[in-house]
Amino acid sequence: MCFKNLPIEFDAHGKPRLRSGESDPFATSRAIATSTDPPLSHDKIEELLARNGHIQNVDFDPVTRVAGALAFHAVADLSEGKIVEARSVATLFRGYEVIMLGRDPRDAIFITSRACGVCGGVHSVTSAMACEMAFGISPPPLGVVIRNMALAAEFLYDHPLHLFLLAGPDYSEAIVRQTNPELWERATRTPAPHAGLHGYRTIADLMTDMNPLTGKLYVEALHMTRVIREAYVLLCGKYPHPQTIVPGGMSTTLSTSTFNEFYMRLAQFFDYSKRVVSIWDDLCDFFYDVNPAYKRVGTRPKNLIDTGIWDHHEAYDARFENAGAWGDRRWATPGAIVDGELKTTDLHAINIGVEEFIEHSYYEGWDGGRFRTDPAGNPLSPYHPWNKQTRPKPTGQNWREKYTWDTAPRWDRLSMEAGCYARLWNTAVARKIASNPYIESTGQSLKLRLPAGSLPEMELEWKVPEVWNAFERNRARAYCLPYTALVAMVNWVTALDFMKKGVTKVSTPFEVPKKGEQIGVGFWGAGRGWLTHHLVIEDGVIANYQILTPSTWNAAPMDPWKRPGPYEEAVLNTPILESFSKREDYKGIDILRTIRSFDPCMPCTTHIHTDERVISREVTTCACGVDE
Amino acid sequence: MRVLIGGIGYSYLRDGSVGPAVAAQLARESWPAGVLVEDLSYGPVAVMQRFEDVKPPFERLVLVGAVRRGREPGTVSVSRWAGPLPDETEIQARVAEAVMGVISLDNLLIVAGFFETLPGEVLVVEVEPQDEGWGEGFSPIVEAARSEVLGVVRRLALAGGVEAARA
Repeated sequence: MCFKNLPIEFDAHGKPRLRSGESDPFATSRAIATSTDPPLSHDKIEELLARNGHIQNVDFDPVTRVAGALAFHAVADLSEGKIVEARSVATLFRGYEVIMLGRDPRDAIFITSRACGVCGGVHSVTSAMACEMAFGISPPPLGVVIRNMALAAEFLYDHPLHLFLLAGPDYSEAIVRQTNPELWERATRTPAPHAGLHGYRTIADLMTDMNPLTGKLYVEALHMTRVIREAYVLLCGKYPHPQTIVPGGMSTTLSTSTFNEFYMRLAQFFDYSKRVVSIWDDLCDFFYDVNPAYKRVGTRPKNLIDTGIWDHHEAYDARFENAGAWGDRRWATPGAIVDGELKTTDLHAINIGVEEFIEHSYYEGWDGGRFRTDPAGNPLSPYHPWNKQTRPKPTGQNWREKYTWDTAPRWDRLSMEAGCYARLWNTAVARKIASNPYIESTGQSLKLRLPAGSLPEMELEWKVPEVWNAFERNRARAYCLPYTALVAMVNWVTALDFMKKGVTKVSTPFEVPKKGEQIGVGFWGAGRGWLTHHLVIEDGVIANYQILTPSTWNAAPMDPWKRPGPYEEAVLNTPILESFSKREDYKGIDILRTIRSFDPCMPCTTHIHTDERVISREVTTCACGVDE
Repeated sequence: MRVLIGGIGYSYLRDGSVGPAVAAQLARESWPAGVLVEDLSYGPVAVMQRFEDVKPPFERLVLVGAVRRGREPGTVSVSRWAGPLPDETEIQARVAEAVMGVISLDNLLIVAGFFETLPGEVLVVEVEPQDEGWGEGFSPIVEAARSEVLGVVRRLALAGGVEAARA
């Protein structure tokens, strides 16, 4: 039994069904069971603001060094050192769901790719998978393997960016010296435990090379993105929007040279990973040692969700009814973790547990939806993506009511966070990953065996953390680098085996059904975690298309039960540890570390507020953070 | 002389596509040895890395694209880019935008300028857009400016110096 709040139970064979005797089973008026208390109401906050000088609004608009535009409203009690209100704001209507209506489903592969300027390939693949399920086709094994290699490469672009260009500078000399001089002073006399591996004698040396623009680690990360972009382009034709991803596989022409050239670039990530992991281990442990209160920065319940990714070529058949079986054989295991406990790895259960709510979003509701069950006969909520309709309704911003273009996705009506660390965590505890020479799931950890390069062969081990916070998100992200590189390696070896046997087929022919209703879903993932595309086709064209991204989960607003989304909840739990003598000097670094640890990916109308002026800047980039 | 003509912009964004469209048109023309025409709409960091790679380096770069600056739509302006660069926080923000997928003429100049990979002479041809909505083709006022843009870019590429634009 994996649901506490949804009215769904499981029969003796594990088949989900609606609990009997419920007149309105999915009513949102029903209370929910969670492990946390609701935050203070906005009325209470207004009262506090009016009464106390030390309680003040702290607004970040935009939150910089994130993909696209995210605004964040917080109310801080500077004397108590705590945050009492938090609201995450996605400032733009994305619109892809509306754009897709009435189009040939194949268009979705190319159009939805544009939802993100970093990870277009993941949208293309997710879309292709939704199409293959709806068309009733599946890729040949080598097509699956090549997809895995390509999308591992895309993540190897993404991870260094997060670790050294976006979140990384928050731990650099330039920032730490300014916000916590006492921490910097301590760093100058603290030896780095892994100096022999990464080459930095002290933590201060390490922080100095994390400085933005000039730090060696910053510049090296930029260089590594180039290396892996070249590998990606070998398989996908171009970056960031691939040209070779099709329903039924890939359209790439492969040769021995392709694999040689890919490996030359991939191999550079083995040594790089060893150093990056040791850097982040040293940084996280240093902060904890200096002040254990850092363990509370960005903390929230261990509620994580992921669909899993990278299919096993012998398992994936694109059929929804078999999703539980092929999902379990993925190189990253699907899973929903609630309060640290893995509740399920079954893609069916994960899928039926998802609902999206719009009580605090600029949308209007819809009536019921068309599907009572999924294609396997499992019950579906009227708030499930297959039933959801996108009806934008912009209104003024009001912290009590509507304040964002993001929706509130929930699983079993709980606020869940998505991230590549959910992928790592599920795989570590589920022990379902296929036997291979490089990656081993132990039930409490993931062992990663990296081949020798300039550095010797090495085993790294990511252990399920005792606490869950901003630091552990970043540490886990660092471990995702070797994990991803090794998934690429496993698949590269498999691909070579196919080539040796003369197997070169990478796609399956197909026709788009012209009549009737077809339904499909792509369960995949972005560098930042969860990605699904739910598709409904009617008489050959798209009748409904719903994209659910990691930042849709993470940037979510409050839900019908007044429970905050993950950014909001994590900021509410964050202590103010910054050193400042005057209120006007307060930078909010602990809040920013919290938000950036999720690696937000937002839409891009950026309103920059200063005391004197408002600058509005419009750009077109990654839009996967917002619902539509 | 090694010259690169580069168009910058998004495809299918009406006037916002002036850069790639002009580059595509110029690429079909005959040019003297040493003059290359490319669509540089693949991200400022990747373009910066391309400049880093080119041996021997380009000596002149002519960039063309639509940039909204509040001028009369269809206005064609020519300038020599000589910096100055914004402060480091702003540069950092532009790098972050660049790696996250923003295609922008300004960002390319700032990113490549900061990392010192720009050719010695950088000439910029901007067109003030009217319509940057989804779709093909330019607005009538920008379409009317197309031949002027093409002519200016040709002259700058071959002669160099902003004075060439008026020749």
